[in-house]
Amino acid sequence: MALAVAEDLSFAYPSSEGVALRNVSVCLAPGQVTLVLGRSGSGKSTLLRAFAGLVPHFHGGRFSGRVEVADLDTRRHGPARLAGTVATLFQDPEDQVVFTRVLNEVAFGLENVGAGAHEIEARALDALASVGAEHLAGRLVTELSGGELQRICLAATLALEPKLLLLDEPTSQLDPEAAEALVELAVRLARDRGTAVLLTEQRPALPLEVCDRVLFLDRGRLVFDGPVRQARTWLQEHHPSFVSAGGAGDEHHRRAGEVACRLDRVSYAYEDHLLVLDGASLELRRGEVVALVGPNGSGKTTLARLAAGLLESLSGSIERRGRATYLSQDPGRYVFCERAVEEVAVGIGGDLTAARRTLAAVGLAGYEDRHPRDLSSGERERLALAAVLAPDPDLLVLDEPTRGVDPERKRELAGLLREDTARATLVVTHDIAFAKAVADRVVSLAPDRELVHA
Amino acid sequence: MRPAPAAALLFGLAAAALLAQHTVSVAVLALVLLVVCLRAPASRRWPYLVGALGSALALFVLTPFVERLPGTVYWTGPTIPVVGTLDVTSTELSGALFQACRLAAVSLAFAAYALWLDHDRLVQAAGFARRSVLAVALATRLVPALERDAAGLVEALRGRGVEPEGLRGRARLVSPLLAGSLERSINLAEAMEARGFGRPGSTRLPQPAWGLRERLALAGAMAAVVVGALWL
Repeated sequence: MALAVAEDLSFAYPSSEGVALRNVSVCLAPGQVTLVLGRSGSGKSTLLRAFAGLVPHFHGGRFSGRVEVADLDTRRHGPARLAGTVATLFQDPEDQVVFTRVLNEVAFGLENVGAGAHEIEARALDALASVGAEHLAGRLVTELSGGELQRICLAATLALEPKLLLLDEPTSQLDPEAAEALVELAVRLARDRGTAVLLTEQRPALPLEVCDRVLFLDRGRLVFDGPVRQARTWLQEHHPSFVSAGGAGDEHHRRAGEVACRLDRVSYAYEDHLLVLDGASLELRRGEVVALVGPNGSGKTTLARLAAGLLESLSGSIERRGRATYLSQDPGRYVFCERAVEEVAVGIGGDLTAARRTLAAVGLAGYEDRHPRDLSSGERERLALAAVLAPDPDLLVLDEPTRGVDPERKRELAGLLREDTARATLVVTHDIAFAKAVADRVVSLAPDRELVHA
Repeated sequence: MRPAPAAALLFGLAAAALLAQHTVSVAVLALVLLVVCLRAPASRRWPYLVGALGSALALFVLTPFVERLPGTVYWTGPTIPVVGTLDVTSTELSGALFQACRLAAVSLAFAAYALWLDHDRLVQAAGFARRSVLAVALATRLVPALERDAAGLVEALRGRGVEPEGLRGRARLVSPLLAGSLERSINLAEAMEARGFGRPGSTRLPQPAWGLRERLALAGAMAAVVVGALWL
């Protein structure tokens, strides 16, 4: 028997002329893990929001068809009423935190749904333990890394013991180990508690190994719905980048040129005086792409900022030749201008012709006059990339450039980064498949802050 | 100390500063609150201190020019249409100092509230109007959130080789900061609704009973208001 049903569901956001979902019909069974795939802007997040009742109650817009969760029709029962039966983990953990202390944050949902006052703390602590974060219960959320915060948000959803768990790109900020743990946890919930799990991902390799069923959305239409084995064959045929290992078969043998940046035994500490980096050395040469990987909190971003000249090291030396640009993790920071083309031109003295060329290179031709805030998360990521590519830097530093970017775009991005042979490129990423696809060499920043070159 | 009586104590001190009639009394209250704020970590306290002391200073500088009070004239300026002749008198200066101290005390009381109180526990402790208390707690987090966002925006500009220097450079941050905080508030509202906020029949984590310190703080808050009204 189905736990949740979407029947002939169509939806359009009020501010958009296009349709986000077109005639989608899906049944979700208890204990089933369903992976939703599709390119950026294909309607994956909207489908999750429809099951949470946020579409149409929170967003408004044109809604037709029917969605029911545990016999509750979402047209009559809003998200607050569905909370507890449904729980949602959104893409960006920083935008969903209400309280400043971890325990209060996890307890918030339980308080709202009216859990017994004396069981709230125990259930919150259990949920924290299930994501391996019980030691964080008394901490301030502002002190946590992105990965830790994501686990806290997951604990907050698990504490509700929902029948339907909606996970919207939950591993986008997690290192491979933490991502694997999260996906395994979702599968365990499905198997042990009979929770139906609906999951979207832009790093599909791992969930494809463990899910039961795959949905593929294309411009709002459900174009594939089937068991995972069948899905692999279908994806191989229609969207091979969703099942390839990223760089499989690509051998990168490029000759590296002169040194563009050399970090020699650099150390760095933030205000708490704890050393984030201690004696790290790295050489970046023109013509090569170096991927910097490592667990959450290992100091990758700090090293990238030092390389780009945004931080001064405490000790050691940094030698940089030519201009460096740096792409921040958050594409929402590239929103200074009213038009995308003007935003890209900020770093090149307002040269709109060059900005248009760069927008086209990242696949955003035709988006020149759009407001940066009106773009989807994947499109914003590409706009931000265009903004740092436009100055034609000698050293390009990219911090997590594939967050929210679909596998097909990642492949294009890898190609784009490998085109320029005069530039040194450092890519900080958790996406191992992308690292393999793009990099001439991979450098790993271990938890003890040692650099391991591979 | 638990946050509810601490908030009451700060409210009492702010009320005393508003009710007091002597500049020295208000200055002492402002000084006490400044010391409290200075004990907060330097990285967190500066936006509050700049806001509180900057606005007090601005009030002190501007007040003599807009007030017209008799007294020893220290400076006479040009005659401006509608406003008349600008001058600064001893009475205007002492009045400006009094108002500036008052504003500083109230602003510093808010700064101490934002810097020192555990807003989560304050929300938990709210026996009534929980939604309003939560809204205030979320609004209080606006300052550090804006500060983080501004640092991120500056980094995004510097990462493209653009240094946001001077007033014009900083002014460039205002629009994305405001738009960003609006966007975040919408995302947060969505996440809160998805977690059942606003549903009838909500419960609350049990709170431990008040101790002696909490009762003393509450008594101190009431005493501050009475003393401020009658003797300061």
